[in-house]
Amino acid sequence: MERKKTIIDDVDRGIYDIKNEFTYRYKSEKGLTPEIIMEISKEKNEPKWMTDFRLKSLEIYNSKPIPTWGADLSDLNLDEIITYIRPDADMQNSWDDVPEEIKDTFERLGLPQAERESLAGVGAQYDSEVVYHNIRQELVDQGVIYTDMETALRDYEDIVKEYFMTLVPPSDHKFAALHGAVWSGGSFVYVPEGVNVDIPLQSYFRLNAPGAGQFEHTLIIVEKGSFLHFIEGCSAPKYKVNNLHAGCVELFVKEGSRLRYSTIENWSKNMYNLNTKRCVVDKNGSIEWVSGSFGSKVSMLYPMSILRGEGAKSEFTGITFASKGQYLDTGTKVIHAAPYTTSSVNSKSISKDGGHAFYRGLLKVAPNAHNCKATVSCESLMLDNDSKSDTLPIISLNNDNIDIGHEAKIGRISDEAIFYLMSRGISEEEAKAMIVRGFVEPITKELPLEYAVELNNLINIELEGSIG
Amino acid sequence: MITWKRIGLDNLTFPDVPEYSKDFIDGEVNHPKEIKLYKTKEVFNDYEYHGLGKEFIEYINNNYNSGATLILSRGTKINEPIKIEFTMDDDNPSVVDYNIIVAEEGSEATIIFDYKSDHAVSAFHNGLTKVYAKENSIINIIKIQRLNDSSMNFDSNVAYVEGRGKVNWISIELGSSISGANYTTFLNGEASEGNLSTIYLGDGTRRMDLGYTMIHKGPRSISNIDTKGVLMDQARKVFRGNLDFKKGARLSKGSEEEYVILLDPKVKSDSIPGLFCEEDDVMGNHAASAGQIDNNKLFYLMSRGLSERDAKKLIVESSFRPIINNIPSETLRKEINAEVERRFLNA
Repeated sequence: MERKKTIIDDVDRGIYDIKNEFTYRYKSEKGLTPEIIMEISKEKNEPKWMTDFRLKSLEIYNSKPIPTWGADLSDLNLDEIITYIRPDADMQNSWDDVPEEIKDTFERLGLPQAERESLAGVGAQYDSEVVYHNIRQELVDQGVIYTDMETALRDYEDIVKEYFMTLVPPSDHKFAALHGAVWSGGSFVYVPEGVNVDIPLQSYFRLNAPGAGQFEHTLIIVEKGSFLHFIEGCSAPKYKVNNLHAGCVELFVKEGSRLRYSTIENWSKNMYNLNTKRCVVDKNGSIEWVSGSFGSKVSMLYPMSILRGEGAKSEFTGITFASKGQYLDTGTKVIHAAPYTTSSVNSKSISKDGGHAFYRGLLKVAPNAHNCKATVSCESLMLDNDSKSDTLPIISLNNDNIDIGHEAKIGRISDEAIFYLMSRGISEEEAKAMIVRGFVEPITKELPLEYAVELNNLINIELEGSIG
Repeated sequence: MITWKRIGLDNLTFPDVPEYSKDFIDGEVNHPKEIKLYKTKEVFNDYEYHGLGKEFIEYINNNYNSGATLILSRGTKINEPIKIEFTMDDDNPSVVDYNIIVAEEGSEATIIFDYKSDHAVSAFHNGLTKVYAKENSIINIIKIQRLNDSSMNFDSNVAYVEGRGKVNWISIELGSSISGANYTTFLNGEASEGNLSTIYLGDGTRRMDLGYTMIHKGPRSISNIDTKGVLMDQARKVFRGNLDFKKGARLSKGSEEEYVILLDPKVKSDSIPGLFCEEDDVMGNHAASAGQIDNNKLFYLMSRGLSERDAKKLIVESSFRPIINNIPSETLRKEINAEVERRFLNA
């Protein structure tokens, strides 16, 4: 008898795919030349060092080949991408002042509501510029800075100059160089010593223009003994042309501080998501990554933690859901560069309808990093045999005084588990539902509430027959 | 010229290989007439297999100076292991061997390959072993590499396994300054099975690149990779273990495990366990772990009067023992244990 398969719905893109009419105040030409770069820089009224930085990055970009070790990027024509689009709106601190159409988009995405209910501050980027920014007064009073990168460059130039692209230098890879050349928008957060930001801050990036690239820069500095939870959300409607997202996230976690950084990337299926995220952690500091990759045609995303202070700690919790036409090459990198550092990776993936999920990770222990501990756990669930699921974690040890464990599992829901639950009086359908929910639960419980709800909606499980 | 980044093999060029004039097929065993065992006369490239690299295989095809061909006819079962033994010395410093093993339906045999060297020679080994295991056959291959510290070892191994056939590899990596070993098993038939157990011991400045791959094509195929290693001094190793479930490998199961004990802060250990899957109804697991010797175990043994070194040696030996015990030759088991011990005494 043919076993019936449980149908797990695709991500419901209804609200994400609504596109607005494409209007703009300024738009750069397609492609990339020093003239375009200088024009973007002039539009933004930037200091000379930044213009020079952009031009230098462009040189590096032109000298580097497109990487060929991972996803197939041959469909991505960089000469066709528009690198800068200034929306027809000024930055506002009140939703009432944001142009109706753009506000509608964010209303549909639930951002103003989330701000009212559970966030301490919100930034909203539309195409290349941030159109809305707000932060609660009590945080401002404690010295917390939360603004868009352009404002930060103007008002806090010294801090920006000290940190900007030092963790992800443009020489790192082609798309880091591209970012250095054409970056625009993004968030700047500075938490002073000993401040505990107990309600999350959230930035949302929305790409509306067809054939455009989005290159937002996120720079977060958490000083000694502070705490911050930062949330990022991204989406874009689907166009027939390919879009490119090459953002850059740089996180600096100082001594004894803790940063929780959550992102759900839910780009449309014409998007190449080639983002670079990196965090450096000082003594006894800790970084917690919560990462969800759902959308995009191709993703190559490997957030990296560099544990450079004694006792620094990194935790990574990630889920990837690859469906039809998607190749999601994601993972995480952890560099233990100091003694007594600890890290844990918990990665899960689901693939269906010909989707391809790839876990590519790196765990590296430097010669001086004695007494460190690390665990890596990867689990993949395949929902049909048109899909693919691969795991390739690299573990590189240069020291003997360590404790390292790695585990990976691949497969579908086991008949034994279903049988066991059924023997305890649970119906077959319920048993399967429990198992799939149990599979994603360790991730959902880490997500902020509104994203946990979103995730449950995204993975809408119709229970009929067996999983597999 | 060949360069491997991870273990620092720089610009390797293959030497000119003189004839290997020694006898390498053990003639003492009385084989039944259903067995054909002779020096390899011709090579054949019927399947794509690149082993340690295209250059290595091409070189062997054109330059092999030794190698055994074994053909087991239908239903033949041999209890005594067949030994192929290469001892490299000043007159015979290089072995480039091409080995072919064809196991017809229902046949069974164990073949031991032993590569060793005189202490003075800088030996070079580059070999290729191909195994064709037909329906219901069982082939056990034991490879022991114990060349001296100034030698180089490269060894490519491939098996094609048909329905309910079974290939069991045991690989013992003890010697050479640099060693590359590749074992690839194609589980082509339904319920075919591939097992690989290996031990490696890295001391001094020894460098090893170990690649183990199980490719599941047949439904209900089973594979298992079990690797135990020890690194000390400034030894470096790369472990690449791959489980690859191709479309059609329904209800297959594969698992791989690597455990490495690190005994010196200067060692370098890379593990790259890959799991590739394009079929949903399979089970794949891999686990890798690394660490120092368990302090509780060490404390326990030392409290029973053992010195620290002896206690460590005992723990390492006990991790190797289950694999060494599967070698069906008392003499070889003793020699391997003695070699492990000798390396510890030098450490």
